[in-house]
Amino acid sequence: MRATVRGLRRWFRYVAGVLILAGIVAAIAAPQATLNALQLPLLALFSTSRMVVAYLLSLVFAIAYGHTAATNKRAAVVLLPLLDVLQSIPILGFFPAALVFFVATFHGHPIGIELAVVFLIFTSMSWNMAFGVYESLTTIPQDLEAAAASFGLTGWLRFRHLAFPAAIPKLVYNSILSWTNGWFFLVASEIFTAGGTEFQRPGLGAFIAIAGRNGDTASIAIGIGVLAAVVLALDIFLWRPLGAYSERFRMETVTGREIPRVPSPYERFRWLPRLPGVRHWILTRLQPIAAGYHRLSLRFERAYSGHPKVIKDVRRIDLALFIVVFVLVVSTGLIGLVQMFLRPLPPAAALLPSAALLSFSRLLLAYGIALAWTIPVAAFLGESERASRYLTPVLELFASLPATALLPVIIGFALVVTTSFGSAAQLAAILIALFSMQWYLLFNLIAGVRSIPDDLKEAARSFGLRGRTYWRRLLLPAITPSLLTGSITAWGAGWNALIVSEYIQYANRPFEVPGLGSLLNHAVFDPVPDSEMLLLTILAMIVVVLAMNKLLWRPLYRRASHRFRLEV
Amino acid sequence: MHALLEVKDVTKSYFENGKEFKVLDLVRFDLAERDFVCVVGPSGCGKSTLLRIIVGLDKPTSGAVLFEGEPIRADNPQVAMVFQSFALFPWLTVQQNVEIGLEAKGTPPEERHRIARKFIDAVGLTGFEDAFPRELSGGMKQRVGIARALAIEPLLLCMDEPFSSLDPLTAQNLRDEILQLWANPDLPPKAVLMVTHAIEEAVYLADRVIVLSSRPGRMIAELEIDLPRPRNRKEPEFYGWVDEIYSLIV
Amino acid sequence: MSNSGEGVGRTGGVTDFHPIAKVSVGQILGLVEAIDEVGGLADVATISQEVDMDLDRLGPILGAAEFLGLVTVEDGDVRITDLSRKLLHANVRERKAIVRDIIDDVPVFHLITDMARKAGRPLSRQEILEALSARVGSHQAEDLFKALVYWGRYVELVRYDSQSELLTLRTPSK
Repeated sequence: MRATVRGLRRWFRYVAGVLILAGIVAAIAAPQATLNALQLPLLALFSTSRMVVAYLLSLVFAIAYGHTAATNKRAAVVLLPLLDVLQSIPILGFFPAALVFFVATFHGHPIGIELAVVFLIFTSMSWNMAFGVYESLTTIPQDLEAAAASFGLTGWLRFRHLAFPAAIPKLVYNSILSWTNGWFFLVASEIFTAGGTEFQRPGLGAFIAIAGRNGDTASIAIGIGVLAAVVLALDIFLWRPLGAYSERFRMETVTGREIPRVPSPYERFRWLPRLPGVRHWILTRLQPIAAGYHRLSLRFERAYSGHPKVIKDVRRIDLALFIVVFVLVVSTGLIGLVQMFLRPLPPAAALLPSAALLSFSRLLLAYGIALAWTIPVAAFLGESERASRYLTPVLELFASLPATALLPVIIGFALVVTTSFGSAAQLAAILIALFSMQWYLLFNLIAGVRSIPDDLKEAARSFGLRGRTYWRRLLLPAITPSLLTGSITAWGAGWNALIVSEYIQYANRPFEVPGLGSLLNHAVFDPVPDSEMLLLTILAMIVVVLAMNKLLWRPLYRRASHRFRLEV
Repeated sequence: MHALLEVKDVTKSYFENGKEFKVLDLVRFDLAERDFVCVVGPSGCGKSTLLRIIVGLDKPTSGAVLFEGEPIRADNPQVAMVFQSFALFPWLTVQQNVEIGLEAKGTPPEERHRIARKFIDAVGLTGFEDAFPRELSGGMKQRVGIARALAIEPLLLCMDEPFSSLDPLTAQNLRDEILQLWANPDLPPKAVLMVTHAIEEAVYLADRVIVLSSRPGRMIAELEIDLPRPRNRKEPEFYGWVDEIYSLIV
Repeated sequence: MSNSGEGVGRTGGVTDFHPIAKVSVGQILGLVEAIDEVGGLADVATISQEVDMDLDRLGPILGAAEFLGLVTVEDGDVRITDLSRKLLHANVRERKAIVRDIIDDVPVFHLITDMARKAGRPLSRQEILEALSARVGSHQAEDLFKALVYWGRYVELVRYDSQSELLTLRTPSK
């Protein structure tokens, strides 16, 4: 316990020092901004609570969805492709749904806007978590499943002792990812204009965005600082301990060899599991309910098993209902789509192909830049234990800053560096895409380098492999699977970032570049929203993303993981 | 009187692309109380599938398995299984693992703890109740698997190549302990059915050895081993049996 | 392999726990049984062939068996002792008691149990590692710690919670 506190104190000294310094500078330079800034803790609280609510919803959704998809083969036929599609819908695509549903229902009352924001963050968090749950449940070792079945673990007990624990490692990992995503969109969604009206909720995102609009650099700096502090605090107090705790749920390989753990500088922050009192309290409250539920379900099971014919009939009716509902929903959707296509397309639709191409090339450029710097840095960090110990926390700090919070800074930088507003907007769009993509690449690559077995490296060295040959024969092939995993996630983040990067409001003027993102923005936020264009743009984005996934990433990944697998 | 276990002409086939792949072909044998039976055969002869069908985890394509005269159900509490890969829940302690079958049955906690401790003691793991599987050696993990199976006090203990993941010394040690447990009238189980590809192991342990051919698994022979226990692998009668079984398979 | 025919080689310092550090009870018992099966006396090469384990893996187990006084090694011949015969015919509980008497006397085991008794509270893994590092160096301390926990648990003199990393003493169940 003492070691934990000592470690914490050291970190806090750093962070507090930086923040205080920034605060003093800002207070001297801009007293008005500092007064504004005093409301920041409250705003931070608001923003964080929105995130927490959205996260809890995502958690429940992910577990329910993933569990259903994993256990019910019939449902999985629909659920899995649906999840694929949902994942590729840009967040902005959900905006209209959010607006119509929540804001209109509550007649513009703040509660409606809050719900809309929470809903939007939910959509940015839940899909990968659901996939994570599904993957965990479908990779449970067969013997463990057989053991559970043979000892009579069904229903609640099976969930509690098998499914849920098995899902924990991927859930924790994906939760961290989701929160990063969430912060990104929280900042972008706390303030938005739709149909000519501006909707706003108090929070860090709104604060930074307004400061950006007014060109108030001091406030921007303070706002970003507070956001960074919140993200960092969550990281230290929540995610690290949870990550360490979730190690316990990792499956060993059959041979009984333990999966080598990447040493983390934060391993000592394991105090969360040491709250046995809290856990015990929660469990003792849950236990009677769960036991009661279990007894009830046992009784139902016994009753059911006495009437097999009835069960069969019920199942048939259930299947029939499901098919009917499904067909209805799909057909109405299809009819609507067909109707839309039969009508003459809006003139803007002609822009779609070129917009897609432009967005794609921007992302490609950002991807190229990201690769250029992440590969060498990952190689360096993966090899040098000491460098990684010092640099990794810093990098993780930067990585946890949502690029949307840095929008004002990026625009400012772009304006300084380029000559015209047009090129500033282009540069900014590329930079934002870069910032959203690079961290996924970097951390996956670092993990890839670290997982190269030591004896392979030694063998390479003993044969005199160095320089370019070392890279070509060992390093690059070995990290190819991680490179691909990182690239898939990075591109996903890049597409999402298009929405915020191609149309930016700064210092009361719009910075816009032609592309799918700006088309989407116009379709949603123009005084006269164009729902057809919205749908078409979303469709275009889905098509491109799915095409890339199916035609490029999946086959590449399959080939690479087969050829470059590290176990012999 | 019914035999404890009756395997009646069990056949198992898989169908893929319209073709039938027969894994087991008309396997038939009985098991009485106090029997120790080993099923041997080359890899891929379907013996693990046979075990899963007997335990109720899988259904035969034709034929039936009767337990005490009744068709078996999936979670038949009278039959317990021990797995080759131990199949322990990595996030549960030894004690929690052993209690898992009792928890599913709805046994109250006090009783569960008592029963679990009894069987943890029987397999010699007292002192390790709070350990997690990753802290244990292979032999100890299998002991947990055995204690877990015994804790639900089954009439029949089914073991799927339980010692093949262990080093030879630990495996031999554990074999003797299984014999001790089986011979003890105060402890379950009454009968043991074990599947293995190690013929010496089968001759060392079993009263009866059932020999299956390679795919499709067909019964080649059912041999009664009447050597007195403890058996010595150096004795000529012993390796006489081993040779005979080898020659049957090849 | 040492040549001590009398009793157990426990005259060494703290490092004397090392022979049984990475070996399990099952393996030692299996070895003793294997030698018993061939009459109680065999040379190392034969044993290696009998149990189908090469010398690399067999070595530590032989060393551990010798340390516990269960076999004697002379000129490459391994002989089981009366103690091991007693062990072979004992049931699980009795075996533990026999091993417990042996382990209890080992100095490094004593070191830790004394430390725990003096402190009057559970010991943390860190504390024990530090105490061990002072004697055998930090690299070996980790292995030694694991062995202490394993054997301590086996003879029911030690309780260890791997979540909180706390070690406590206990009395064996009767």
